[in-house]
This record gives sequence, C-alpha cells and structure tokens, in this order.
Amino acid sequence: MAINKNSNVYIITYTVVMVVIVGALLATLATWLKPKQDANVLNEQKVSIMKAFGEADANFDEVVTMGRVAGGKFTTIDKSNAQDVQAVFDLLGNRKELGEAKDNLPIFKFEKDGASKYVLPIVGKGLWGDIWGYVSLYVVDGKLKISGIVMDHAGETPGLGAEITTPGVQGAFADKVLYDAKGEFAVRMQKGGAQNEHQVDAITGGTKTCDGVNDMLEISITKYKSFLDTLTAAVAEDTTAAEDAATVEEQPAAEENNNVEPENKEE
Amino acid sequence: MKLSKNFTNPLAANNPVIVQILGICSALAVTVKLEPALVMGLSVTFVCAFSNLIMSLLRNGLPSRIRIIVQLVVIATLVIVVDQVLRAYMYDVSKQLSVYVGLIITNCIVMGRVEAFALGNKPWDSFVDGLANGLGYAFILVLVAFFRELFGSGTLFGFDVLARFGYTNNALMLFPPMALIIIGCIIWVHRSINKDLQEK
Repeated sequence: MAINKNSNVYIITYTVVMVVIVGALLATLATWLKPKQDANVLNEQKVSIMKAFGEADANFDEVVTMGRVAGGKFTTIDKSNAQDVQAVFDLLGNRKELGEAKDNLPIFKFEKDGASKYVLPIVGKGLWGDIWGYVSLYVVDGKLKISGIVMDHAGETPGLGAEITTPGVQGAFADKVLYDAKGEFAVRMQKGGAQNEHQVDAITGGTKTCDGVNDMLEISITKYKSFLDTLTAAVAEDTTAAEDAATVEEQPAAEENNNVEPENKEE
Repeated sequence: MKLSKNFTNPLAANNPVIVQILGICSALAVTVKLEPALVMGLSVTFVCAFSNLIMSLLRNGLPSRIRIIVQLVVIATLVIVVDQVLRAYMYDVSKQLSVYVGLIITNCIVMGRVEAFALGNKPWDSFVDGLANGLGYAFILVLVAFFRELFGSGTLFGFDVLARFGYTNNALMLFPPMALIIIGCIIWVHRSINKDLQEK
C-alpha cells in the first residue's frame, strides 16, 4: 500500500501527531524539573542576601529575620508562615514589580554581637538591561553605612559594566557613608576616582553601567528613608543610653508578628 | 572503516567551525570562560547527535514539503530539554550561557548535519556523524576558551594559574573580537598543517 506522503491529509496528520507528542514530552519534563529549578532560584536569592551581609557561609533560614517596611516601620514576617515568606521571595524575583513597589518593602535583618545589619533589595537599569542586587546597611558612630553589596546584571558588557559583579568592585562599597552632612544621598560610583567617604571608584569603560548603579542605589534606598532615619536615631539614642546606664535590659517583643524594630531599641 | 572516518573527519580535517566556518556566533559569545564553553560544547553535541538520530529514524516517513519544519521542531525540542536540565542541575552555568543555549536552535551545524547527512543515512551512522560534529565544535570552543580564560582572567576553570606569577589580566582577551582572532589563528595553524585545504 503506497501512501502519498505529500498529500494534505498525511501532512496534517503527521504535524498533529508530532506536535502532540512533543508537547506532552516537554510539558512532562518541565513539570518534573520545576521544583528543582524553583529551589535553585530561591537558593540563589538566599545566598546573595547572605553575601550582602558578609556571612556567605551562614544559613539564611537560621540567622536572618525577614520583614517588611511599611510606613517607615519594620514588621517581622513569621517564617513559619510559608505564604508570607513565599510572597517576599516572589517579589524579589519579579524585578519590575519590586522596582515599582512603594510601600510594604521587603527587608532582611541579621544580628551579630549585638549589632544589627539590614539588607535591602535594589533594582535598576544598566546599559543593556536590568541590574539588581542586595545592599547591606548598618549604623556606626551615628552614621548609616554600607556594610556590603551584591550586584548582578542581565547583559552588561563583560570586562566593563559586568565588572559590577566582581568582588573588587563590590568590596569598594564597604563602609561608605550613605548620607552627607546635608542629609542627601551621597554614595555614587565617581568617574575619576573616589573623592570622599561617600564615593566609590567608577569602572573605566563602564560609565553607563555605573550611572545605572548610582540611580539604582539612590532610588531603591530612598524608598526606605523614613525607616532608615528612625533606625539611625534609635541606634544613636541607644548608644547614648548605653553609655549613661551600664546595663541595658532588652525587653521581649510584645507581639511576635508585629514588633516595630526601631522602637524596641529605645529601651 | 566508514564509521570511524565519519567520526574522525569532523574532529579535524572537516571541522565544522574551522573548516566550514559554522557556529561562529556562539563561539564568540560563550568562550570567555572554560566551564560555560565546555557545557555549551556538550549541549550542542547532545542536540546534534540526537537530532541526527531522530531525523534519520523519521526520514522514510517524512513528508518532504514540511521537512524543514519537522527538523526545527525536533531540534527545538532537544534544545528545550537541554535548557531545562541545565536550569535544574547546573544553574550557575545556565545563567552564564543565558540566551545562547536557546540559540543552539539556530546553530548552522545542527541543521546542516540533519539536512546534509541524517536525511540520507542510517540512524547509527547519523548519530555518530552528529556526535562527531558536535565534538568538533566543542573542541574548538574549549580551545578558544582555554586561551581567553588563561590570558584574560589568569585562571583555568576558575583556578588561579597565572595570577601567582604576577600576571596582569589582559582585558582584550575578554572581548568578542579576540575570539575571532584566536579562531583565525587556529584556522591558520590548521591550514598550514592540512595543505589540501589551502585555496589556490
């Protein structure tokens, strides 16, 4: 029996069968691998946050307090509430939404030796595409400083803009003071070299990416300004209080789900 | 005898990259470091070998009018498989390779071999041909990446090699044009050894 392989019926049947088989195959594969892929993405977010804290070896789940900043107040997220935790990581994974978010912003807190560090997600635009990362902030001597930063990019030029992912560039941000004497945001990658305690050397040949980093930092961090101001004031007050009285007793948080961080520090 | 020639030919004398000058685009893009270059090479080898095998199995029942479409569906399916598996098991490398895994679909070597070989040969011969062509591509990619990573970053597979001798990294090696220049040099060496390839 000879089949006419160029008849319309044959071709359409052939195509339909082929597409159904291929579709089923790929759908099965994607479903099967999805949990593993999601776990990779989640793990990467956690590792990046720990790197920003400067504690790359520590376990995120054990040492980090997750929270949201709404109306300048820190609200702790109960980690046993999988839905709230997932909502935070989903937001971190969605750069567009994260960039547009105005309030109820994700934040991470890590305490070591009585000092707290806070990690904020940052998103912006480089030369070719999105740039994003995490910046870790802490208060030293009444000044808000960067303790560490982790940055990644979608498609910056290797060797130029893409250098923002290297330890060399990221390390230069350590201990830069966020706000100048006038209270204006002053951290920036400066062409021609850093001039003061706020600036970081820009990358030669990566000017557009560095401009993107500057905007990203300013815009992303400014969203947390009221919280950061309270924090700086609270820590400064705390230090003064500690100097006055030798012992400062820490009171347990009244409500686990709703403890307002800077105010707790004022005791 | 024919089979072994099928296998060795694409590795050197008829290498898809340096003799047929195919697949140059991805050779420029993913050869900054050895690891992604190796993974890319193996991915193309997998896609090339299995697309040849599948198309060879399908060749007798294939309607010639939709031949190219069927080829594309088969190749695209295999590329998606590779992409998904990399995302699940080699997340870091898959991030470095980014869009170039998807672009294996457009790699001329893959479709070239299906069209030129698999449609007219038995499955096993086709599989070997695809495997050899993929490996020929992978070999050049790794060779280029070896020089680019060694002199561009002073490392091999991420391990410090030249840095301990006080070597200053040559950023020029990291730029795509340098891959072209290195491939040019490889072609030059290859042709001076294989004199029959020289154009009169």
